[in-house]
Amino acid sequence: MADAIVSVEPARKRRKSPVGDQVRWAFWRPMNLEKLALFVQRISGLALLVYLFFHVFVTSTVAGGPSMWEGIMATLENPLAHFGEFLVFVGVIFHGVNGVRILLLELSPLVGTPSRPDYPYKVQSLGRGQRSILYLSAVMTALAAISAGFLLLW
Amino acid sequence: MRESTLQLVNYVMIAVLLLTVLLHLASHGFFGFVDYRGSLVYSDVVTRYRQVVPALLLTVLLISASFHGLYGLRNILLEFRSGPVWDKAVSYGVLAAGIVLVGWGLRTVALTATGG
Repeated sequence: MADAIVSVEPARKRRKSPVGDQVRWAFWRPMNLEKLALFVQRISGLALLVYLFFHVFVTSTVAGGPSMWEGIMATLENPLAHFGEFLVFVGVIFHGVNGVRILLLELSPLVGTPSRPDYPYKVQSLGRGQRSILYLSAVMTALAAISAGFLLLW
Repeated sequence: MRESTLQLVNYVMIAVLLLTVLLHLASHGFFGFVDYRGSLVYSDVVTRYRQVVPALLLTVLLISASFHGLYGLRNILLEFRSGPVWDKAVSYGVLAAGIVLVGWGLRTVALTATGG
């Protein structure tokens, strides 16, 4: 029986890309909203961290006097910067509301009761309560986008 | 510091952050209480830094946002790879970034508040 095995092809090594793995994981089947929401949570969190560095640097010019402050404000008075502020506001609202959902899941009040895994094998721990907060975060993000659109881009 | 302690501190920072970010956005006209452009005039900005409560709010916001953001970044980076060298490099790198960020922000608050 052992003679029948002529050769075993070694498994092809896949190039590891952590960022690619994250993206694939979020969009890999079976898709669910919670996976996508966690992916967006991470992206928005990283973007907000980059913005925080930029924001602290920009606001530090206030210590340099009025001319320095007015100078940097004039530089940022352009459509691209306003669009950036728009994204920051929308990102903050989504990250905040969805973050509360994740927090409540981690601390367990929103975790559903365990039950037998039946077809189509829905994740039992993700109950209706957390899904409604996820919808709320989507609605609030849309409202924030409209509000920030009027305020910053109009 | 133990991971569980760090996570507990992160939960506290999240609660603080929720409140301070909302107040910060409100003070810049995002909820319609004040004029957005007016809130960015130099004299108004300096006035906020020279009042105790707004200056304290900015300081707390800076510290909580820096901790939460960098702790989140650390968690993501530690998920990518593992190993003692990587863990230490990420932890110390994030700590250094935090010191720079909070230090730079506190410098701004201190200089503006004292008019230096």
